[in-house]
Amino acid sequence: MRESPESLEQRIAGLRSAVRRALAGGDRTAARALRAELRAAEDSWERAVLGGGDPKPVLLPVREQVHHALSLLGVPAAPKLIVAVHDAFFSGELASSRLTSLRRDEERSFRSAPYSRPYYLCAALTADLLAPARGLLVISTWPLPTRIVGPYSPRADFLTSAIRVAEHTLRTGAGGDAVRPLLWRFAANIPGAAGDHPHDADPRRLLTAATAELEVHTGKDTEQRRQAADRARRQLGDVEQLFGARLAAAARAQNGRLP
Amino acid sequence: MTDLAARLDRLRGDAPARNHDARTIAALTTNPGCGRRGLMDAAGIDKDAVARYLGFPAPFGQSQFAIARGNAFEKQVKDDGFAELFTLLRERLGLPVPQVAIESLDEVGGNHGSELRHAQTRRALARALAGDGSTLFDHPLLRLDIAGQPAYLEPDVLAFRLGDKFYVIEIKSFAIIDGQADPEQVAAAARQSAVYVLALRRLLTQLGHPATAVSHEVILVCPENFSNQPAAAFVDVRKQLSVIERQLSRISRIDDLVAALPEEMTFELGDGLASAIRAVEARYAPDCVSSCELAFFCRDEARACGSTDLLGIAVRDDVGGVETLATALGLADGSLAPSPEQVEIAAKLRLARLLRAQALEGVA
Amino acid sequence: MSTLTALARIEAARTGSAQPLATVRHCHLGEQPLVLIPLKLSGEAAAPLAAMVGTARKDPALLVVAQPRNRDLRFGFAAELAALVLSYVESRQAGTETVPTKDGEGRQRYSDAPQVLVPNPGGITFLRLLGRSTRFRRIDGPYPVEASVPLLGRWLTWLCDRAEQPGSSVLMPMTSMLAGHWATGQSTFEDANLGALLGWLDPPEGMTGPQAALRAEDPLLCPPAGPTTDPGFDNEELAPLLAAYDRAPADQARMAATDRLRRALRRQLEPTWELMWRSIELLRALPEGAHVTGRWEGDRESFTHFAEGVPEGFPQAKRDSAVAAARRLIRLERAQDELDVQRALDDPLVMAEHRLTGEAFAGIVVAAQPDRLDTTGKTPKLRPYLQVRTSDPLRVADGDTVHNAGRKGQKALVVDVNAGTVLLELSSGMGRKRVAEPGSVPEVGDRVCFTTFAADFHRSPVLPPLEQTPWTHGGPPEAYVPGDDEAVAYPPTAADALEVWE
Repeated sequence: MRESPESLEQRIAGLRSAVRRALAGGDRTAARALRAELRAAEDSWERAVLGGGDPKPVLLPVREQVHHALSLLGVPAAPKLIVAVHDAFFSGELASSRLTSLRRDEERSFRSAPYSRPYYLCAALTADLLAPARGLLVISTWPLPTRIVGPYSPRADFLTSAIRVAEHTLRTGAGGDAVRPLLWRFAANIPGAAGDHPHDADPRRLLTAATAELEVHTGKDTEQRRQAADRARRQLGDVEQLFGARLAAAARAQNGRLP
Repeated sequence: MTDLAARLDRLRGDAPARNHDARTIAALTTNPGCGRRGLMDAAGIDKDAVARYLGFPAPFGQSQFAIARGNAFEKQVKDDGFAELFTLLRERLGLPVPQVAIESLDEVGGNHGSELRHAQTRRALARALAGDGSTLFDHPLLRLDIAGQPAYLEPDVLAFRLGDKFYVIEIKSFAIIDGQADPEQVAAAARQSAVYVLALRRLLTQLGHPATAVSHEVILVCPENFSNQPAAAFVDVRKQLSVIERQLSRISRIDDLVAALPEEMTFELGDGLASAIRAVEARYAPDCVSSCELAFFCRDEARACGSTDLLGIAVRDDVGGVETLATALGLADGSLAPSPEQVEIAAKLRLARLLRAQALEGVA
Repeated sequence: MSTLTALARIEAARTGSAQPLATVRHCHLGEQPLVLIPLKLSGEAAAPLAAMVGTARKDPALLVVAQPRNRDLRFGFAAELAALVLSYVESRQAGTETVPTKDGEGRQRYSDAPQVLVPNPGGITFLRLLGRSTRFRRIDGPYPVEASVPLLGRWLTWLCDRAEQPGSSVLMPMTSMLAGHWATGQSTFEDANLGALLGWLDPPEGMTGPQAALRAEDPLLCPPAGPTTDPGFDNEELAPLLAAYDRAPADQARMAATDRLRRALRRQLEPTWELMWRSIELLRALPEGAHVTGRWEGDRESFTHFAEGVPEGFPQAKRDSAVAAARRLIRLERAQDELDVQRALDDPLVMAEHRLTGEAFAGIVVAAQPDRLDTTGKTPKLRPYLQVRTSDPLRVADGDTVHNAGRKGQKALVVDVNAGTVLLELSSGMGRKRVAEPGSVPEVGDRVCFTTFAADFHRSPVLPPLEQTPWTHGGPPEAYVPGDDEAVAYPPTAADALEVWE
């Protein structure tokens, strides 16, 4: 016989208290077992009350969505910015949770069948150790210096992103509620880019301001990236040039300066 | 390894050492007179596990909502190449536009090992001091030796070259509302940041630079009002710094405490644990509950021996420092003859008792 | 604290039950207080999660925010709370009384005022922030809210401001009310937990105070009284329930998820609700102190004045100007002094504190010359002598003026102090004739109490409420007008649109 929702509800409440009791007493094993039981009871409850399972979200080709957004930006970018750009300019939904495993999947694919895809989504490389930079995605077909980030790159790339977004907005005439927060996200943090009113972000002014600040940093940034890229070409193999060096290789890259 | 460190290791037994962090170091300053806690902390003993074992689990635990909020705010401030933080530092502190270089120190080529990261932090700061370094250092790993044990500390950000000084930047998710924040939370942040300032000063001294190159003002970054917009505030931590330094110098003097203990004594989880702990004197105060995992055990102990500590320092002061409830009541009802130094308080207690009785009689 | 209170605590600790610190109730407790228990989401400044509200023990309203990170739901909650609070405020405006004025026309004053009771000081802090976050909201423009929301903000702000005035009873934390009347055998730190405090005062059948207090520290048996919830509840109950709400694909599922959330929050709030009403019962059982009515009149005065200003007024400023802040401080200090004196006069147990320190003494009249005349001046004056024997420690000396605690306005001069006996010369409070009004001079055998302070000590410059500062004194302080500052920060624009809440 199926348990009634009321009785399930009571059992759930009881189990919750039991989990907390177990945790308070430091009994993690019991807590884990109780949690599993709790989850099962909750599933039954949801089936009993709501019937049927969750509707399946439509799977869109994530790597293509990311590729679009990254191509627009032209510089290494974090998932959050990629999602924001996607939401502003492209249709369909891109959940940031789906970006987390992306890089690993790409690396696996490359290792099993190198260069079988027209492009791969990889991590940017850090200029010092040529190791994968956490949370920054790039496209494999970009020139190596673009895929490397040095100390000045976070700011330079932020400004470049702003310029690219502003240009795209002007070119396509895009606007409206989806684009405004993205423009504002840049304008609020670039001197001279924000208008007199809060949230007033004019793409033309953004373009001018971002270009002006980028001018200040670009020399040092480009030089550091170029040097690091030279090093990478000398020291790293194909896979590593795309997906980054491990620590041993990283130590080599630093000429054994690490313990 | 020093003798003391070896002895402390023995006290801990086979349990892994629980490393200090800024929070636990700052907590040392809240009840500095407590030998029990000082000793257990110095030995790196997991007080939480001890308290559970003894049947007095600490009432701590953090809500995942609070943790998530803290992480989200820190991430937001650091997103887009620290865009919001740069805006704040430029607007509030006049950071020049060309200074935008960031050194990320939260891992070394995918490795999170403490020693490796600390070495990396040293190198990065040395470069900065030599005039060729970055402006912001993300998650540097500092080190402070506590009774021979290294404690690794991780401030949110360090900023350099704001007027040739290093600043510790702490990102906290409690709100500054109309220019004011919860004083308790600000105080906790100040204590914690002071530990970072101290560790950074020690590092700079090792690198041959004056400690004063690290500012005694820390920069607190918090959300403003009810938005997620960050705001920055300077907090002067000189007072906290001196308290912590004093505390740390006392910790290395726990030799005396250790010397008084039987050679074979250990705080390992087991039958003898409770009596081993009781052998080291505690100084219980009611607010221990908010900062020490062992508080409920000590409270129970204070209760069992009827200590006036149970009622808080104010009550104890009001009864002239009398140590037990029984003594206080005995002096009050005259059943106990006061010692010479208790004569004054005994008279006061007797009168207090009489006045209370009179007032209550009138009602009854 | 004092030795007297300390002794009471020690006695409580030894006996296992609470000891009285007062013989009368020193706060107003109306027929219909509004009990309000707010809960907030951990880690947020003022994101409401739930509230239990009502004026009747049997009929609490439960308000819940199904997703506290969603601003629409948060302001929906504010609107629901506004409906309850505003109608309660309105119900306090049913009756008025006429207060005589100089011009003889008289003015109206509400014969009641709101009284909101929250579990602890944290509840007030939360209401203050909720007031701050709602009172500037616009009912039009980009992020409109219901008209009741900013109004709620203004009333909450008034309540919280007024609550700072010592002796006010419009908004009180229950823990402070109880701790002001009883001493427990635990520390003030532990008294901050309403359950533990009440455990000492009113332990369940078969339990001692300390046992009940210990039980109340278990968040599973006795959920915290808010506004912060127990981390265990957050992690094990609230988080899955909020996630279920977020996941719910359709309206029906969302309603089911909301129902479950409501039930979970009700379980967190109901125990505190019961504690609140048990506390009210305990306090009601105490007779009201004599000066309580007068202080409540001050609350009604402030209520009337604020209510009159609501229709055309502006939301209260974010911060007081320097002058206003200084005035306010003086006013609060004065109210505190006045409260201290009044409490002592109303309550022999509080007076005992002053007797212990020598600021007052009590004793028996052992000799009296009720018709003694002072003939040294041009006209003879009635100056009765009283000899009072006391065992209290005496700190008064010849020439001091003392006040009869039992007879308002009666002053006496200390003529002689000698080994537990005080000779007093009464100088007032006996009528205007050469013979004392009957009963106005204590008789031999009477118990009397004289104080070095007086009820009207600070009354000398009777100041009108700040809002009624006469024109001769510069008029009422400048009304606050939202300036540019507001215009920038609040059309809820910049800051709000940036609210990310994730």
